Amino acid sequence: MSIFPVFDTAQSALRTNRVWMDAISDNLANLNTIRPYDQPAFQARFVQAQEVPSSSNPDDPVGVGGGVQVASIQYGDATGIERYEPGNPMANKQGIVRSPDIDVSQNMTDLILAQRAYQLNLAVVDRASQSYQQAIQINGK
Amino acid sequence: MLDLTMQAIQTSLDGLAARQRIIAQNLANSETPGYIAQDVNFEDSLRSAMAAGDPAQASISTQNTTDPTTPNGNSVNVDEETVGLVDTGLRYQLATQSMNNEFSILSTSLRQDL
Repeated sequence: MSIFPVFDTAQSALRTNRVWMDAISDNLANLNTIRPYDQPAFQARFVQAQEVPSSSNPDDPVGVGGGVQVASIQYGDATGIERYEPGNPMANKQGIVRSPDIDVSQNMTDLILAQRAYQLNLAVVDRASQSYQQAIQINGK
Repeated sequence: MLDLTMQAIQTSLDGLAARQRIIAQNLANSETPGYIAQDVNFEDSLRSAMAAGDPAQASISTQNTTDPTTPNGNSVNVDEETVGLVDTGLRYQLATQSMNNEFSILSTSLRQDL
């Protein structure tokens, strides 16, 4: 896919932002995942994005960049929040369970950012498609 | 009848049409449990067939993609398929225009009243 290079860049961003939204949705889905005291708590997922270097793309001699990719998934604190729930069958003798340490407002803000970035890149595909269409019609009748 | 260029463009049009069908099939099965997305490759085969001097030898092949699946076993990425649809559509336009150019050259050569 190198006749229309903008699509590759936009697609890499769509993919990365989708992974980000998947991670956020996983964090929010596990908001109430309680674990026994002697096990690690559910760890929040953090997506680490990084740019794709121009040097990895032979079609990019001027260095406009190659898009974005997921470098790694980082995990939050396994200690979680120790909560006193004596009625919970998973509680230890002192009545403590581990609930995950997930920042809901942070995740909701990130969700909006990821969704906006996704929309922006879809808009890029749309505009690029129009430009390419006009380029194709240079020779048209 | 068709010269080498026209045969090459024809193979490319066939391949691009097949790719559009596969994309439509992938999108239609975007919620089907266990469905593995497929894609079409004809460019490699067309390149080697052109190098051998006979574009008609080129073949169009489909294969499963290696993308990760969701918990229900489906591996279709709707955004990638959609971008692929736009990309394939533009390539198809390029190929049809090249073919039209070839035909207009042919048709010019048939006219006597220039």
